[in-house]
Amino acid sequence: MSALNCVDVRELAPELALGILGGAERAEVILHVNACARCQAYVIELTEVADAIPQLVPEIEPPPHFEARVMRRLGEDQRRSRRRWVASIAAAAAAAVILSITVVRVIESNDTAANATPVAVAMTGSRANVPAGWAYVSGGRGVAVSVSYGVPSGEYSVSVGPARGAARTIGTMTIDSGHGSWTGQSTVPLAAGARIALVDSRGRETCHGVVPAAG
Amino acid sequence: MWTVSDDALVAGLAAGDRDAASAFVGRFQRRVYGLARTIVADDRAAEDIAQEAFVRAWKHAGAYDPRRGSVVGWLLTITRNLAIDAVRVRRPVAFDPAALLGFDAPSVDRDPAELALLSDDTTRLRAALARLPEEQCRAVVLAGLLGYTAREVGEMEDIPLGTAKTRIRTALIRLRAALVNEERTE
Repeated sequence: MSALNCVDVRELAPELALGILGGAERAEVILHVNACARCQAYVIELTEVADAIPQLVPEIEPPPHFEARVMRRLGEDQRRSRRRWVASIAAAAAAAVILSITVVRVIESNDTAANATPVAVAMTGSRANVPAGWAYVSGGRGVAVSVSYGVPSGEYSVSVGPARGAARTIGTMTIDSGHGSWTGQSTVPLAAGARIALVDSRGRETCHGVVPAAG
Repeated sequence: MWTVSDDALVAGLAAGDRDAASAFVGRFQRRVYGLARTIVADDRAAEDIAQEAFVRAWKHAGAYDPRRGSVVGWLLTITRNLAIDAVRVRRPVAFDPAALLGFDAPSVDRDPAELALLSDDTTRLRAALARLPEEQCRAVVLAGLLGYTAREVGEMEDIPLGTAKTRIRTALIRLRAALVNEERTE
């Protein structure tokens, strides 16, 4: 239990929000905020303002070939820790359920998570043929779905169709203001060629993606 | 023209998608480099920090939480923290918040699509900062942009610690109030 009360915390909340509070004071404030919804909301509001301050700094053109140098470093990092992002996908996909983030992901089934390699699938609008989000498929049956654009608000069925076999619904998801997510288990294995789609209440496919061969 | 959302690019990063990574770097490199350069005031150090910021974003994209702020806010927070760590010893001597925040910068030519993406909040925050008493503006920018603690603000401004804390606190609360009030009047 924090020794600070709400008045104390509100005095220190701006420094916490600005990231300049250190040591014991920081620990005490965080302890209080974790247990006090009103102070927590206050800190969040201040943090939103504080985080916006760096966004005011004018843009500056980086030195020539900066992007290429960054991409080279990312490539080195990817080679060093190829397995890292398998775990990060699983974590991100799990987060998608809670946080309604903006992609379509298919995550590992429980028993294959450690060995599966995710495959990215671009989801595109079935009529307008514009991107709607992403899918990441690994290992089979665990599925997390979320899209961020191009799909009207409403209820949709999450449909999967194996390369050979009939499509079937594995869940429903709600799109609100262009955003929505869903996670669950596929009743059929999703291999290369499998199709993932969102189907509206009239049975029309709204967006879809096809699982490519694992690279 | 259709534009991939920032959130979708981060999702691509989380999946190790190099096309998404390339688009992400291209989209934000001027902002990331601009912030790093502003804080460390050194071209080479700024490039190192900007590169590292993108590597960190790449590594931690899976943990990005859209409920806790925008992609650019997340990325610039990473950049700011790296830059502040880099200048723990080498502090700038001169400090002009108006110059740092581009209050006097000429407007940049942008295409309409890009202009539409610029945040209204950013515009409002800039106006609210400009309306603060100068000493409060300096205090909150020293803290919020350059990472100075209240004690360091006090030393830099030659004021007691309590006064520095009050300036920082009052400034941030006023900024928040200004943004909330403007939202209500819209």
